[in-house]
Amino acid sequence: MLNFMDVYERSLDGPVISEKEFNMKVFVPTVRDVVKKYDIKLDTDNPVATDDAAADNLFHAGVELLSRVGLYCMDSNRIVRFTEEEIRKELAEASGECHVGEGKDARVYGMRVPDDPKRPWFHGGWSWICTSEEIATNQLEALASLPYADSLKIPVIKTLRGIPFSGGSPGEMYAAIRQIRIGREAAKRAGRPGMPIMNLVGQASAAVTTIGASAPQFGARPTDGWIVGIIAEMKTDYGMMNKVAYLLAWGANIGAESAPILGGWCGGPEGTAVVNVADIILGIVGYKSNYHLTFPIDSRLGCATTRGILAVVSAASQACSRNVRVPVNWLCYTAAGVNTRMYFHEAAAYLLTSVTGGTASVGIPHPAKGVKVDASTPMEAKFGIEVSRAAAKLNRDKARELVPKLVAKYESDLANAPEGETYQDCYDVETGKPHEDYVRLYDDVVDELTKMGIPFE
Amino acid sequence: MDKNTIFKNLETAVVDGDEDRVKENANEALKAKIDPLVVVEQGLSKGLAVVGDRFEKGEAYLPELMMAGDTFNAAMEILKPEMEAQKKEITKAGTVLVGTVKGDVHDIGKNIVATVLETHGFTVVDMGVDVPILNFVEQAEKANADVIALSSLMTNTMPEQRNVIETLKQRNVRDKYAVILGGGPVTADWANEIGADGYGQTAMDAVALVRKVMSQKK
Repeated sequence: MLNFMDVYERSLDGPVISEKEFNMKVFVPTVRDVVKKYDIKLDTDNPVATDDAAADNLFHAGVELLSRVGLYCMDSNRIVRFTEEEIRKELAEASGECHVGEGKDARVYGMRVPDDPKRPWFHGGWSWICTSEEIATNQLEALASLPYADSLKIPVIKTLRGIPFSGGSPGEMYAAIRQIRIGREAAKRAGRPGMPIMNLVGQASAAVTTIGASAPQFGARPTDGWIVGIIAEMKTDYGMMNKVAYLLAWGANIGAESAPILGGWCGGPEGTAVVNVADIILGIVGYKSNYHLTFPIDSRLGCATTRGILAVVSAASQACSRNVRVPVNWLCYTAAGVNTRMYFHEAAAYLLTSVTGGTASVGIPHPAKGVKVDASTPMEAKFGIEVSRAAAKLNRDKARELVPKLVAKYESDLANAPEGETYQDCYDVETGKPHEDYVRLYDDVVDELTKMGIPFE
Repeated sequence: MDKNTIFKNLETAVVDGDEDRVKENANEALKAKIDPLVVVEQGLSKGLAVVGDRFEKGEAYLPELMMAGDTFNAAMEILKPEMEAQKKEITKAGTVLVGTVKGDVHDIGKNIVATVLETHGFTVVDMGVDVPILNFVEQAEKANADVIALSSLMTNTMPEQRNVIETLKQRNVRDKYAVILGGGPVTADWANEIGADGYGQTAMDAVALVRKVMSQKK
């Protein structure tokens, strides 16, 4: 088994190569070769796959890709290489479980498999949608109070006392500390003091602010979970590696994060699926992660509900849930925003695909590509919980029947999706209750989807 | 080899990303004493247009774009001395400085935009990633840029886009450059808020935006 110091050492003496050459001469041709060698084919007409043999084949393709490409360190301009034997040994030793939370809220975040009737873990919160300072505290309390939410994700604030701040700045440090403190307090007020926070430190972009804000006196605990990014595609830097080193020394949970880009270096859906699998394996081998957050994204539309991305999610979630012992959260970014029918159609299509594919956990499908400030509400969380629980009662064959119908409802509008509303537009900020029109829309959509065949409780 | 065959070979070489074939045919073009500007227009640029069109339709991706661009440039290295000897130069549509702001190392979207802008006839100066504010400002001056295109892929690094604009104002050069924004978390509202000249969601939005600001400059 590799120690993280082995990984670091290989970043010092691996083959030297420029980033451009790594992209064009190592990564791109190897992805193409692996796709061809393993005859990877995704069906974007009906994105939900059902073939276990194809899923296993994709897994082996991901292992080979990682063994041939490695992990590129942007600071040392060297490739950290792993042999196939090392990779398979690491996978064999992976536990498949992540122990999080404390006291009555201590949980085991574990795996699911395709067609698994077990409900997926639910992450209550959103990672990168910006929240105004004024409503951040109320939002965190609402998130911590969500029924069936197993963990908390803390939203990001854009300003601190009205002052905008840049990555790695003192403003970011203070904001990160503030958000963790408020998140912890919100969980206490919701009667869940031991609830784990699993997107630390979303507020911090730099290693220094991540590590600084993670100090225990500000509320973080090793039974929380930290997200450490694999830079697209299959790259790292010493900032990310510093986070890993710190968290390993502390014994904290590490969630590797990946966002392979369809249309970027990965090429089309097949290449993106192989890279997605390779990333999840790389998280274990390179970052010693014990959970993973992934969100393959369409480069042209900036969302995750295109046919191509759904096909990637379906294939990669099955390949990994069958073969890679790490709980994975496939995270959805819809094109449409809050309080739109299109949002719910997109979210449902994604959740049916990922849950029947064996995703360990789901989160709130992020509206409006996650870019609109204050554009997420507890209503989307409620929908995420209800649909994911319903999806666990379905299998891939049923999802294969339903997902194309959902996609047909929205795909012609993806390029010009409605931006939707903000929390303040559709909720009473004082009482924390949704406006009547949003409740009516929600109930109408649930009725529509129930008639389609989604078994809401 | 007749000139139409040369043009076709150059076009397909760019489409296929075949540098050997493009160099061979660029040399053939010189041997045949074909006007290098016509070689670019009738051969090389057509190849770029094919790849650009395929990219917009989702039939080609960033690797094909980059390979087409690299292949085009390989041909230009051969044609340039003759163009200079004939005192000819390609009319460029404008100069765009492209970079990802400080603190941010994401580059895929930025690379797509840079390559698509090049395929549409713009001179692109790619500053790379994690670019300090003053580097943008100073390079814009050196390159005589028309447009500064700032990419940010994280909400935490978006303020750097504002900082570039503020620095241009402080140096009294804001009016010299159009500043456009792009990147995952960036929105039109943000662009308006910080006084940018525009925001593009896709690479083609960037082309349309640059063309618009260039026409407003004239």
